[in-house]
Amino acid sequence: MVFNSVTFVVFFISVLILHSLPFPWTVKKFNLLLVSYLFYAAWNPPFIALLWISTVVDWYAAQALVKAETTSMRRLWMLISVVANLGMLSYFKYGNFALENFSLMMAGLGIPYQAPHFDIVLPVGISFYTFATMSYTLDIYLRRAKPANNFLDYALFVTFFPHLVAGPIMRPTELVPQFAEPRRATGDMIRFGLALITLGMFQKIVLADTFLSPATEAIYDSSKIAGALDAWVATLAFSGQIFCDFAGYSTTAIGVAMCLGFAMPDNFRFPYAAVGFTDFWRRWHITLSAWLRDYVYIPLGGNRHGEAHAYFALMLTMLLGGLWHGASWTFVIWGGMHGCYLIIERRLRSSFSDIQVNRFAMVLLGLLTFAMINITWVFFRSKTFSGARRIVGGMFGLNADSAPILSTMRLVTVSCIVGGLLLAHWQLRNRSLEQLVAKTPRLLLSLVLGAMLFAIVIAQGEGNAFIYFQF
Amino acid sequence: MPLSTSSSDLHQTSLKQAQSDRPGFVRQTASDRPGVAQPVPERYIPEQPWGMVWLVAIALFISAMTGWELYWREFGAKPSYANSNGSWAEQRARIDNGEGNHLVLVGSSRTLFDIQLPIWEKSTGERPIQLALEGTSGINLMEDLADDPNFTGRLIVGVAPQLFFSGFAFRASAIKNYHHQGPSQRVGQWLSQHLIEPYFAFYDPDFALGTIVKRQNWPTRPGVPVRLDVRKLSVSEADRNTHMWNKVENDIEYRDLTRRIWSQSFTGPPPPALSTPEKVHQLVEQQISRAVAAVTKLHAHGAQVIFLRLPSIDDYYAHENRVFPRADTWDVLLQRTHTRGIHFEDYPQLNGYVLPEWSHVTFADSVKLTAELAPIAELEFSASQSTSRK
Repeated sequence: MVFNSVTFVVFFISVLILHSLPFPWTVKKFNLLLVSYLFYAAWNPPFIALLWISTVVDWYAAQALVKAETTSMRRLWMLISVVANLGMLSYFKYGNFALENFSLMMAGLGIPYQAPHFDIVLPVGISFYTFATMSYTLDIYLRRAKPANNFLDYALFVTFFPHLVAGPIMRPTELVPQFAEPRRATGDMIRFGLALITLGMFQKIVLADTFLSPATEAIYDSSKIAGALDAWVATLAFSGQIFCDFAGYSTTAIGVAMCLGFAMPDNFRFPYAAVGFTDFWRRWHITLSAWLRDYVYIPLGGNRHGEAHAYFALMLTMLLGGLWHGASWTFVIWGGMHGCYLIIERRLRSSFSDIQVNRFAMVLLGLLTFAMINITWVFFRSKTFSGARRIVGGMFGLNADSAPILSTMRLVTVSCIVGGLLLAHWQLRNRSLEQLVAKTPRLLLSLVLGAMLFAIVIAQGEGNAFIYFQF
Repeated sequence: MPLSTSSSDLHQTSLKQAQSDRPGFVRQTASDRPGVAQPVPERYIPEQPWGMVWLVAIALFISAMTGWELYWREFGAKPSYANSNGSWAEQRARIDNGEGNHLVLVGSSRTLFDIQLPIWEKSTGERPIQLALEGTSGINLMEDLADDPNFTGRLIVGVAPQLFFSGFAFRASAIKNYHHQGPSQRVGQWLSQHLIEPYFAFYDPDFALGTIVKRQNWPTRPGVPVRLDVRKLSVSEADRNTHMWNKVENDIEYRDLTRRIWSQSFTGPPPPALSTPEKVHQLVEQQISRAVAAVTKLHAHGAQVIFLRLPSIDDYYAHENRVFPRADTWDVLLQRTHTRGIHFEDYPQLNGYVLPEWSHVTFADSVKLTAELAPIAELEFSASQSTSRK
């Protein structure tokens, strides 16, 4: 079920009540496991089997890995885990994509081959929970973590509903220790958790779905040719939409976990205030970028084998990161663009390391970073390359004769929301949300919370799925 | 106060304390710790009187919601059931859950507003399943039922020429939603129908925040056509029995607004797909071919079909006749599908009703119209059955 639904409200209230009942800690954990399965089954019950496969394979692989006496056996068990998880992910997410590309390759070689199209439904959240379970085996393989003491704690780590379908991608060392001893949320934890949920839902329902998404769709899902203003505004709208959608989910997930007494890591740190792309990736989808860094980039050699190798490892990591988002070459290009940005930035940093940047230049560089990130969003959002080319052409003034598309209302609302978002990110770039909240006068805080709740209800969202569910 | 890093004790450390421990504190994340085991995350609860903060917030929220609800009630809205995709799916599911042999209504808003299910039930003993979707060609709905072998009953297909013969499908998402919805959406629909819809007048897409902001009097951007969106026109019950909203009937200003909204289709350049007579002809041909294919499939699994053209008047009627004349559309449809049909022009008892905005009859007249229509439909079905036997 999605967080932004009446079903979830009823589900969450029931879980809070169940979790507060005076059961032994093991029973409470078992309850959490059951409700997490219920949460997942609410989409499509048969897909629970996949979740179980991923859970069980990694549990046994990790157990065997610990008992293995030779390095080769350890590697074998690690590979079994990786192959099982990536195999499942590949089949469901990349099966048709691979077949289509194989057909194209054959056609390129002059061999007529029509690949069958399988009607494969992508299980929601598979990219997230396979990465979480793989990190369990990999951390044990890399001797960074010990196996969980019992299957219940481990299964709950994989399945815990706040992070199950769209992250933050948890590591075993972040969550398993929290199941070791009884945890109970204090009154203030519940109240602040609810405030985070309110903020997350406001971002999703009001900003992303109500105001930003229609402007994006009017340009990206239309065959009309957009001029510079329309192409830029639609892309800015998407940059705001994807942030509010995904950061909104993460904030809600953190709030939900907090109400149950658990801590989850930050997934975003005001990314549109990033100066440079290294900075951006330390602020955007942190748990994925850190996962790719720890389990792809560093094992590929990272920066330990010279500059050229580091660039190769970086580019490969970003291309895979792009592909993780979806089975389409547009996502790969998106990852490749970020890879190029990061490589160029590293070169520039090493060439101009002695230059001091003042605050004004920082702001300019920040705006440049934001503008360049917006160009990458075009490939992320467009369904086809021709669509992306059309929008990029518009952004660079190549569609000068096109008729205006977006209404004044769309131009104004997108500008206000994305402008406000940028301003807020810059104000908070070196701070945390909690610091801001602590310094806010209590009446203003009440007013903001009340207004957000009011806006959420009157927006009458239709329970639109979060964008990252499709990944 | 941080959530503990490894034990269950929740130490009451304030954010201020944390900041003094680490000046310029920014909470570390996985991005700050490459290649190591990530520790249990730190989360702090900002120092605030949270109980009081929430108390005031909820008081403000309740006050604002009360004002909002009263405003829409003053505007003329009353709590009713949403004509949502979930509600449509609930009715559609009846066919797959043992009621596949029932009478089903598909079509667009005229079929939805003009036919009153209790009156039909009173007249024939059978309460139809209402599956018409406003702004949506009945062909999409026919095709959906044609692909469903569970449907073996009788089908009345409403034909609003502008929609049916252009294939326009404003609510096509309802059909897709039915075939893809999971348990969570079904539960959500049940909760919405029992906890929200019967109690709140503001809960209507026409009164949603985005809709309201959009329809404010914004300055026009040169070159962007100004188009008024269709407003709330109807009121629905739990099983989608629907009638015209009394504001359309009684509020002259609102009625005129609705007429202006319809008029947008009658004036100005036609949409690209209807820009020349050849294109219109081609589009009509496509739709009729779709209808023929759907009717053939429906007959194959034992379903009976009749078409129904409900009344329209004045400018709307003139526009329909100009772009989609009966001889080129309706008559061809019946001939090509070998199906019987009820055209309001052919029955004096289906004429003379009040249609405030030219396209739908008033609530009171929909009762009378249904009482006249139901026996005619029964006769047509009987005739259709005896024809097919021959």
